[in-house]
Amino acid sequence: MTGRREVLRGAWAAGLLTALGQAQALETPTGPVVLTVSGQVRHPNAGKDAQFDMAMLERLPQTSFSTRTPWYAQARQFTGPLLRDVLRAAGAHGTVLQARALNDYRVEIPFQDAQRFDVIVARLLDGAPMPVRDRGPLFVIYPFDAQTELRNAIYFSRSAWQLRALEVR
Amino acid sequence: MNDTPWPPAARPRSSGLLVTALLSGVALLAVVLVHLQQLERLNEALQSGQEVRSVQMHRQVTEYLQLREQWARALDAGVPLDLRALSLRYDIWVGRVAMLRDDTAIRRTAMAIKPSLDDTLKRIDAFVLAADPALMTPMTPDERRAALARLHPALVDLGEAMHELALSASHLATAEQTQRDLVLSRYTRISLAATAILALMAVAYAGFSLRQMRQLRRRQAALEALTTDLRAARRAAEANSQAKSHFLANMSHEIRTPFQGLLGMLGMLRGTALDARQIDYLRTATESADHLLAVLNDILDMSQLEAGRLQLSPAPVALRALLQDVESLMRPQASQRQLALHVDIDPAAPERARLDATRVKQVLFNLLSNAIKFSQRGSVDLSLHLDHGEDGRERLLFIVADTGPGMEGATLARIFDRFERGDPATAGGTDGSGLGLSISRSLARLMGGDLKATSTLGEGSRFSFAVPLEPVAEAELAAVAREGDAQPAQPLEVLVAEDHPVNRQVLAALLESLGHHAHFVPSGDEAVTAVQARPFDLVLMDLHMPQLDGIAATRHIRALPDRRAATVPIVALTADAFTDTRERCLVAGMNSFLTKPVSRDKLGALLRQLFGSAAAAEAEAEGTAELLTARVDGSEVDGLPLIDSDAVARTLQVLPADRYASVLADYLTHAHETVSRLRKAVREAQPLELRVHAHATRGAALNLGLTALAATAEGLQNGAAHLPAHEVARLVQRFEDLIAATREAAERAGLLPAPLAARG
Repeated sequence: MTGRREVLRGAWAAGLLTALGQAQALETPTGPVVLTVSGQVRHPNAGKDAQFDMAMLERLPQTSFSTRTPWYAQARQFTGPLLRDVLRAAGAHGTVLQARALNDYRVEIPFQDAQRFDVIVARLLDGAPMPVRDRGPLFVIYPFDAQTELRNAIYFSRSAWQLRALEVR
Repeated sequence: MNDTPWPPAARPRSSGLLVTALLSGVALLAVVLVHLQQLERLNEALQSGQEVRSVQMHRQVTEYLQLREQWARALDAGVPLDLRALSLRYDIWVGRVAMLRDDTAIRRTAMAIKPSLDDTLKRIDAFVLAADPALMTPMTPDERRAALARLHPALVDLGEAMHELALSASHLATAEQTQRDLVLSRYTRISLAATAILALMAVAYAGFSLRQMRQLRRRQAALEALTTDLRAARRAAEANSQAKSHFLANMSHEIRTPFQGLLGMLGMLRGTALDARQIDYLRTATESADHLLAVLNDILDMSQLEAGRLQLSPAPVALRALLQDVESLMRPQASQRQLALHVDIDPAAPERARLDATRVKQVLFNLLSNAIKFSQRGSVDLSLHLDHGEDGRERLLFIVADTGPGMEGATLARIFDRFERGDPATAGGTDGSGLGLSISRSLARLMGGDLKATSTLGEGSRFSFAVPLEPVAEAELAAVAREGDAQPAQPLEVLVAEDHPVNRQVLAALLESLGHHAHFVPSGDEAVTAVQARPFDLVLMDLHMPQLDGIAATRHIRALPDRRAATVPIVALTADAFTDTRERCLVAGMNSFLTKPVSRDKLGALLRQLFGSAAAAEAEAEGTAELLTARVDGSEVDGLPLIDSDAVARTLQVLPADRYASVLADYLTHAHETVSRLRKAVREAQPLELRVHAHATRGAALNLGLTALAATAEGLQNGAAHLPAHEVARLVQRFEDLIAATREAAERAGLLPAPLAARG
């Protein structure tokens, strides 16, 4: 029951966002596309997809936090827009996101994760852009230190690096 | 029953319980520890992302292979070189390899698998160093393809190391998993064992508890049995105590009955012509008798208090008059010891209160006589105050303070105990039963108050006797006022139903000294007849009479059809002062109750109560009874006078000579009947019968002063049960002989109107 209500609420929120979003439709990327949101997207700007270049992501509200991860020896600072802001900008609505990485890594992220947690699409590591060699250019990061229930393999696996696309289902 | 063995002490069981509890605790702790460790392990595994690491190693190989494929495609001259795609693959792989260099869990895993990791890394670094320019430096596609072709074998060479790394990671993961499973299995076993121990302990604990409970029940049963025994013992003790009290009360009565005779006769003796020495003897005798009576009264009071049978009779009392009564009675004692006696009444104190005046006086007399007895000099003060008790209620506080030697704490603590007295040395004598203060306190408490003492050694003692104040209602006040009204004096016609000759004579004398006329009947049924024959103002009814007793007679009289006869005031006369006796009397329809010995004061008070003050007017008996002028001629039998002149004189104090003569004549006439009764009793071997007749005739003979007859009757009375029959017969014969001799002597002495003997 609760799950369904959550979903309904999510759908309602998405509808509201759609209404807002229609006022300012998603712009067209001018630089190289770094993220493609496909599937159930209401503000497509390239065919049926919503595409983002780095500047578009940078213009969204930015969130920054420092956290420990299994991939770095120390805690590192990650900066980028909240996943839910990115999804809102794309007018995405659904139950599951499939994240895809440059290295063909794929993982499913429940749509709710974006609402429940301050998940960010990190584009800066310690204030600097991330090259592909350093898991860039985009890295899905959960606030592992702020919420300890996230410190397990499930969420570690959802933190896709070298992110390139999100399919909304 | 009482020596039922107690169940053995519970120590072994409680130590068993302790061990059980301890073991349970240890087992529980073990379970908790094991689970904690398990949790820690799990968390470690979770948080470190061990699963992820294993996957990473495989991704490493995949990404390497993807790069190698892309690289090989770039070497194909037939296809256009896609540098962007190759660079991406290259960067992805380089980024992945970098993770092995950083100090992360992944590197640690890798190091664990392959200690020669750093060698591999060096080889990779060398490759990267060579490959970077080949991919990033601007050059023609052919040049680039040639550079890539040169580097291709080195890239393929790395394949072996990469593959080995992934494989080892798999093995490590398996080993780690197995290790974890083993540990988990061990923990589970430990946990199971601990749980089993716990279960065992629980069973043991239950067993111990059951035993404890059973034991507890046994001890409880034993305790209950003991309680029952104790209760039975207490009941027995109470019954004993009550029986003792009863016995004491009865004994006191038995003693009081003859006492009436003794005191009465002593009183009469005082009125005869006595010399100084005799007066002295008489005084001593009277004092001793008074003292003995006081002791008897104390014992009776005590036994009645103990048996809970003493009942108070509160009535409206004028407090000032009460204190005056007490003062006037105590003043002689005080002045005899040269002590000042002060009586003081708090102006706030009420005029009247409902009190049992007799009992309040009894307490005050006791306190005052103690104070006077123990004080050598100074004064004794009696004061009455109105104050408030601890419960806030108004109460009367009587305080008796003296300037005596005082008491120390230990003595003070003991004085209210029974048979305790002050130091005889300071008391100047050992009179008193030692019951006085105990009785006083019991009485005070019976009244709802208390009696307390304080004392300072060398300065004196202070007794405070508190009684709750019960105000007198208006109606009662009116009644009290009426009581004082004088009523016309008139001689009363009094019927006395009394079978004992001595008591009859004493009562006759008392009534006459108060100016009334006494009429006697010896039994209850005769009393019933008498009240119907003529009107009487009052009937004094002895309770113990042959045939119809006093109570039955009263019922008969009250049931008479003649209204005048049925309503005559009847007053009980008995030595039995028990409250229930009194109640029986009142229930039977009697108006009042007079206890023996009956004194002139008591009788006067009763008459005052029934007929007003005038009836008991101080009609001082003229007392100058005609002295026996004719001396008895001294004829003696076996050293005993036939007639005791002193006794006759004493009797004549209250009995006119002609009445004495007729009583005497009667007695002598009936003595012959007595003789035949005695003979019959001897013949029929009935010593009890013999004793009763002997006793009766002896009492009468003594009272009439017929010493020899009395002595013989006494011999018969005492010997009735054990003397041989011929001895008894001899005594009866002697009694018969003495009748004639006595008659002659009486005639000679002019006590009987003999035909030949003249007076003088």
